[in-house]
Amino acid sequence: MTTPAGSAETNLPQTGPSSFDERRPPEPELLADCVHCGFCLPTCPTYQLWGEEMDSPRGRIYLMDLASKGEIALDGPFTEHIDACLGCMACVTACPSGVQYDRLLESVRPQIERNVPREPGDALFRKAIFALFPYRRRLRLAALPGALYQRLRRIPAVSRMASKLPGRLAAMESLLPPVSVRDAFAGLPVHTPAAGQRRGRVALLSGCVQDVFFHRVNVATVRVLAAEGYDVLVPRGQQCCGALELHAGREDPALTRAKRTIADFEGLAAEYFVTNVAGCGSSMKEYGHLLADDPAWAERAAAFSAKVRDVHEVLAEGEPRASRHPVRGRVAYHDACHLGHAQKVRAQPRAVLRSIPGVELVDLPEAELCCGSAGIYNMIAPDAAAELGARKAENVRSVTPDVIVTANPGCLLQIGKHLGKDIPLLHPVQLLDASIRGVPIPRT
Amino acid sequence: MGLSYAVRREFEYTLSPQDVISDPVRCRAYECDGLTGYRVIPDLVLLPRTAEQVASAVRVCAEHGIPFVARGAGTGLSGGALPVADGVVISLARLKRVLEVDPVNRRAVVEPGVTNLEITKAAAPHGLYYAPDPSSQQVCTIGGNVAENSGGAHCLKYGFTTNHVLSVEVVLADGSVVTLGSDTGEQLGPDLRGTFLGSEGTLGITTKITVRLLRTPESVRTLLADFPSIAAAGDVVSDVVAAGIVPAAVEMMDTLAIEAAEEAVHAGYTVGVPAALVVELDGPTEECDVQFEQVKQICERHGCTRLHIAGSPEERAAIWRGRKAAFAAVGRISPDYFVQDGVVPRTRLAEVLDRIAGMGADAGLRVANVFHAGDGNLHPLVLYSAAAGETERAEKLSGEIAELCVEMGGSLSGEHGIGTDKACSMPKMFTEDDLAVMRRVRGAFDPRGLCNPGKVLPTPRLCGERPGKYKPHPLEESGVIERL
Amino acid sequence: MNAPTDLRTLRTAVLDTSGRLAVAGAGTAAGWGGALEPVDAVLDTTGMRGVIAHNPGDMTVSVRAGTPLRELAAELAPHGQHVAFDAARVAGGATVGGLFATADAGPAALVHGSLRDLVIGVTLVLADGTVASSGGHVIKNVAGYDLAKLVHGSYGTLAVIAEVVLRLHPVPESTATLSVACTLPEAAELAAVVLGGPYEPAALEWAEGTLLIKVDGTERALPARVERLRAAVGGSTAEPDIWERHAALVRGADGRASIRVGVLPSRLPELLGALPRVSTTTAGLGTGVATVTVEPDAVAEAHRLVHEMGGTSALRARPAGTDAPAWGPPPSALGVLRAIKAELDPKGRFGPGRFAPWM
Repeated sequence: MTTPAGSAETNLPQTGPSSFDERRPPEPELLADCVHCGFCLPTCPTYQLWGEEMDSPRGRIYLMDLASKGEIALDGPFTEHIDACLGCMACVTACPSGVQYDRLLESVRPQIERNVPREPGDALFRKAIFALFPYRRRLRLAALPGALYQRLRRIPAVSRMASKLPGRLAAMESLLPPVSVRDAFAGLPVHTPAAGQRRGRVALLSGCVQDVFFHRVNVATVRVLAAEGYDVLVPRGQQCCGALELHAGREDPALTRAKRTIADFEGLAAEYFVTNVAGCGSSMKEYGHLLADDPAWAERAAAFSAKVRDVHEVLAEGEPRASRHPVRGRVAYHDACHLGHAQKVRAQPRAVLRSIPGVELVDLPEAELCCGSAGIYNMIAPDAAAELGARKAENVRSVTPDVIVTANPGCLLQIGKHLGKDIPLLHPVQLLDASIRGVPIPRT
Repeated sequence: MGLSYAVRREFEYTLSPQDVISDPVRCRAYECDGLTGYRVIPDLVLLPRTAEQVASAVRVCAEHGIPFVARGAGTGLSGGALPVADGVVISLARLKRVLEVDPVNRRAVVEPGVTNLEITKAAAPHGLYYAPDPSSQQVCTIGGNVAENSGGAHCLKYGFTTNHVLSVEVVLADGSVVTLGSDTGEQLGPDLRGTFLGSEGTLGITTKITVRLLRTPESVRTLLADFPSIAAAGDVVSDVVAAGIVPAAVEMMDTLAIEAAEEAVHAGYTVGVPAALVVELDGPTEECDVQFEQVKQICERHGCTRLHIAGSPEERAAIWRGRKAAFAAVGRISPDYFVQDGVVPRTRLAEVLDRIAGMGADAGLRVANVFHAGDGNLHPLVLYSAAAGETERAEKLSGEIAELCVEMGGSLSGEHGIGTDKACSMPKMFTEDDLAVMRRVRGAFDPRGLCNPGKVLPTPRLCGERPGKYKPHPLEESGVIERL
Repeated sequence: MNAPTDLRTLRTAVLDTSGRLAVAGAGTAAGWGGALEPVDAVLDTTGMRGVIAHNPGDMTVSVRAGTPLRELAAELAPHGQHVAFDAARVAGGATVGGLFATADAGPAALVHGSLRDLVIGVTLVLADGTVASSGGHVIKNVAGYDLAKLVHGSYGTLAVIAEVVLRLHPVPESTATLSVACTLPEAAELAAVVLGGPYEPAALEWAEGTLLIKVDGTERALPARVERLRAAVGGSTAEPDIWERHAALVRGADGRASIRVGVLPSRLPELLGALPRVSTTTAGLGTGVATVTVEPDAVAEAHRLVHEMGGTSALRARPAGTDAPAWGPPPSALGVLRAIKAELDPKGRFGPGRFAPWM
């Protein structure tokens, strides 16, 4: 008799045909990478909230494995627990075995969208979300002060949802802060020349939600990049990059948007394609992988992704050039999940902030924990999102910052909702912009 | 067969329907812990929110004779939280409050689902910390640490969970609640706290734990040294001990483990060197300085090829990140691996590593070694590929390594526990009488055997009737009895 | 009287006698705990002495339980090693087994705990002659139940301890003690300073108007550390024999009952102030454990007071001819204690009366 010993493989037997369809099912090798060590548990927001194994990365991977081995079906509990994932990718950071949960989730969510019929209310709501958010024009309408409901009803999918599920509209509304008419309709110059000697040329993704609700961040980004020596191109006609849909598993529309974005940018004479939105950056860096099987697009997508940079990556690349005016105060930096976990961009935003004299940079407790925004999550799972938002706000308050900065519009909206208005909440480039221009830091 | 609908309703009534998982798909997420080779689907998973609910749930189990298994974070590597068929899993994941940090008396009172690291985080503002630090400290729970008597990298100097837990509130198998130990650790009669610690969940469920906190040392000095051979690194450990130094930690990694860890976390280890030693000293600055100098000289005397001294807390953290990630990181250099956990007297380390290398070569498998060199606790990682059909060979080799440790005067387990994994190997280390007495102790706590059955102690049903390997009874050795 | 010399003869002695048995070591704690009821035989363990194996490189030693600890210390000293344990009885010739069975400890418990924290293996003989071992010769070991813990503090009621494996520590190169004359409340304040700072005391005891702070270390580093400590708390360097005097106080005096009490360290001064008819006190300000000598008829009241403050109390010396109660209110796990007694010694052979009236 031999002494058995710790096994690091799941050894789940294949008992039937995989429950996934044949279009990019989760790769068995990626599933096998998980050794079930549990190091992901403490950083998983849903495990923190509910303490249930199925709502942890390890549990979700286990369920994926079971589905892949034909042991369980995709509908029912499987879909529920995959849906409950915020996609924050904190587990990817925490995993010592290098499990690519991001890739796994990216292949499983479309499987659910294709193969699991959603209950009618959920389906209506999701349709409404995706009929609104990726569209700058519709968002602008929605953003105008007053009579939100009336305007949203002009969008048929929203109208259908609103007539059946009026309560859900409130959840959507909570994501749309008031914005001035001027900001909502303002555009960015197509070409802004570098100040002083030119370091390079970049093309900026202006984004959909970002451009409507945080136009001021785009303006600051263009100014800062120019001040630091970059020509900034903002291609006209650009549309949503597909991030929201991609992260929700709506693969086909997401890929359509990806191709369009590639086509819009690839011809530009720019060294980098820059975004100031964490979620957009993480999806655009994925295009190469997403379109790898498409012979017409594989090469173009890979070339595009190779040039995508978060704005902080560009700014931290060289020595600061524009002179900075001091900004005195405690600045708390919140790592947006899609920047820190998904793109591993953590040092650069901090370096950029440290380049501002007088800034005392502070980290947040439970920094790895998602704020609950997570793309469309705070609309489809408002309770969990609210708990996480309140927890994040509490952690922010605990370090008594003068300003809090984060590089994702979703996080800005979510944290702002839970933190109230007493602490200015900004994108880091807004702070840098104020420092370079020597003006007081904005309140929003 | 399964539990009846009425029983399920009773649990739902006792807790709340949201706190009882009965859906078979969801229950499957609980079918194994960190040791995935063993799987049993529980009938129900209970997620109580309070100690009272734990006791109530256990009372329902007792009333109906339902076996139950407590589970923390499910990180155990011996199948100690393996569910029982027709039984329930009681998850303590929601009992995660730090109830009290008492800086004056240097102790904390916590619920079992609090992670090991969270205790230290809660204590840190007072300049205190919780000493035992198993490699999984950021995820493993203190309740699980109590069950396994967890150690960690610093246990050579600071001891194990049993040395740092002053009292535990325990729900016994009949649902009654008792406190073992006291605020000072002083005991009234036999040390039941110590008996409970490390009993792997077979004597009851912990619902509240009082731990001792230590003052954060004034100075911590950490070095990472490369050596041309395992033997040279081993000699350093011996000389350090012989010099009367009790390091806070002495960890060794061999070339494969270094490669894996470095690939995973880029902590600054030298890929390709035969052995790396992490030595950490802590204490008053004056002492640390004197002894650290001695350690450096000893390293140099034994042909250290690179001596990296952590110059900042970040560098120290990086060294430890590399060490602590080593297990899981091995997944990067091998599709599959078995984690072994055995102990040998420290002076036999070099010998046992030689033997392991030989056994690995004979089996045609690679073995990576990560170990707590100060206390002789080995973690050989047997690398294999299931796809290439090496599983059986690897499992055999891993088992033989554990037996080798016992033969060399050591133990089957230094910290992962016996659990399900090694229960059937217990006769290799203990006599029938030893085990019978342990069974009698178990019977005193849990006469009906409802609490985590099938773990630690071998049973004929579990292990078959095959006798364990021959080990002379102490009475045989002393000539009292003879065995035919 | 039975006088076994090793495991084999011990087992024979247990099997060859019938009825109730008392286990006796050097007799330094014969009167501790509940008064022994009449027994049919006494097992004298002092013949079971000597080191079985000492592995200096591993810093472990196995000994027969009847070995006096001071004898063991003498054998280990040439290797620069010791058992980091200093109960007051050691000087009186107390055996390893006796010290273990009575859960005794001294000032070094502040850092090293009691013997339960130093014993890594044990071999026991049960009342039915069953021989059982647990643990082993390695410091780190989680295989099986820890039977050693079960007999720690069992006062010879569950099994006879035959052999013990201990982990060893290096004897400190250098050691020094600061003594500060002060009242107990003042000592508590100084103790907070010492424990709150980077001083790492090896022992911290207040005894009859003097706070003793012991520091262990290397020859090169210690003087500076002592200076740093002196700057913080004052006092002067004491002669090494001060600890012998401390031990004598702990051992108590004839005609007095001696009680060991434990309570949260922060409440210790309050408790000691409240205890009636105390004559001498030694108090571990870091551990919360104190030994006091009181008039025999004040023992019951002392148990009650300690219990009210959430502490533990056990009678040590009981003056001849008095019936001071050994124990206060029973612990919540009394049912488990009784069940263990019933499992391991169903006929109630060992140590009758030691835990009266609990069991």
